[in-house]
Amino acid sequence: MYSRRAGAVVWNLSFSHPLNDWEVGDFASLLTLLESVVVTESVRDRRVWASNSSGRFYVKAYLEEANPGGIVAFPTQLEPLSALAAEYQSGSRLARKNKGLFLCVSVHVLGEEYAAIRRTRGDGNCFFRSFMFSYLEHILDSQDKAEVDRITAHVEQCKKTLQSLGYADFTFEDFFALFLEQLESVLQGSGNSISHDELVTRSRDQSTTDYVVMFFRFVTSGEIRRRSEFFEPFIMGLTNSTVEQFCKSAVEPMGEESDHVHIIALSDALGVPIRVLYLDRSSCDTGGVSVNHHDFIPASGDPHNAAGGSSDTINPIITLLYRPGHYDILYPK
Amino acid sequence: MQRSVVKKKVMKANFVNPVEETMTSSSAPSRKALSKIACNRLQKELVEWQVNPPAGFKHKVTDNLQRWIIEVNGASGTLYANECYQLQVDFSEHYPMEAPQVIFLSPAPFHPHIYSNGHICLGFHIANADILYDSWSPAMTVSSICISILSMLSSSTVKQRPADNDRYVKNCRNGRSPKETRWWFHDDKV
Repeated sequence: MYSRRAGAVVWNLSFSHPLNDWEVGDFASLLTLLESVVVTESVRDRRVWASNSSGRFYVKAYLEEANPGGIVAFPTQLEPLSALAAEYQSGSRLARKNKGLFLCVSVHVLGEEYAAIRRTRGDGNCFFRSFMFSYLEHILDSQDKAEVDRITAHVEQCKKTLQSLGYADFTFEDFFALFLEQLESVLQGSGNSISHDELVTRSRDQSTTDYVVMFFRFVTSGEIRRRSEFFEPFIMGLTNSTVEQFCKSAVEPMGEESDHVHIIALSDALGVPIRVLYLDRSSCDTGGVSVNHHDFIPASGDPHNAAGGSSDTINPIITLLYRPGHYDILYPK
Repeated sequence: MQRSVVKKKVMKANFVNPVEETMTSSSAPSRKALSKIACNRLQKELVEWQVNPPAGFKHKVTDNLQRWIIEVNGASGTLYANECYQLQVDFSEHYPMEAPQVIFLSPAPFHPHIYSNGHICLGFHIANADILYDSWSPAMTVSSICISILSMLSSSTVKQRPADNDRYVKNCRNGRSPKETRWWFHDDKV
């Protein structure tokens, strides 16, 4: 991590995942901090956490120290896309210093089609959290009763799938009930309907969202197992494990990150089209001006655009921005 | 993917704060009341157990929903045939989002993955993760854990303690819970 070259201290940090771009700013300040430290080599090393009088490290104290304005609540309020551009600019000094760490992506291109971004908590459940908020928000805004009926029928189907796969009802029914409750609450006139602000507040409540995330994980796992021959080649390519092992270790446990297998399965199971925009290094190959996107269109059931007339274009209900290891919600113009 | 799994494990391990954990927790779980959801789920799980108990196990009736005591009978034809042990299962207020804590009450069976203090390393070797604490999910049940434990006992070829038993048990004296242990998989055969 630390070496001496020509009398100067050189820090060589390695991370277990590539830096996300919103972490780059923090990384820059860390480096600045490290460079200001004078190392005395004659003294024996020991670890001291300077912010604590005891010198001991506490996660809570660290979080308070790191977020002086209070810990950011997720999902965040809507931010204009320019916030994303600013994020890239703030990292530019480091980008010069550390080529390759940085994603050479034109946020400008993104700005032509998208107006705003809402960030979600990065804890391995962000795809499901984004899906939850985005879908409930769509229903709240559109008051599309037909869509609610449609997805409710799909949820019922998912329940039957899990039963036929041998899941005991008590393992999943509370999670299903909680999702349906959320769905009902965003339809106005149901008695306990909620406002947009209330939806944001509720989506910040850890226990509610964890339960909804778990609902999605059950649905995803059920769909993958139900169509295991279809998913097997994808899963073998990812992990070299069987479909069942994959579901047990990478789908059902909380905090396991979502891959395209999860997205396909959830989109198919609930019949909800999802668009994912990719900002990653692969964008660089094409000269850095294009943003790739992939549409996940439900394979079975009624395609959502059926009423729209045009069968070639889909209108994704949910649009997510993917940056390595993380999903946020995008809002088209 | 295989590589990324390993990386994530490393990161998880880094986030465990040894100082804080050992200072605030004890092997007797904090007696925080079960949440309504947890209570509801446990009641349903207990009813299901009574209707359809896993073979070789017996739930000892108590009025405590938060701590189950379960008798395990070694399967016939295995090293543990005709032996009876007791499991203690403690549920946190966040069950089933959080894994229950499962230990053997003294005397714990001699087994390469069971420590003399009753802590169990319930390895799920293909994914190289402990099914109890690394890849727990609400889809699992007390019954499914019991079946895994019995299968672990049944496949054992030697009755002996883990190689690092003394060191591990000594480290647990300050009240370390098995949930905080990042198990080291010494043996893939058992």
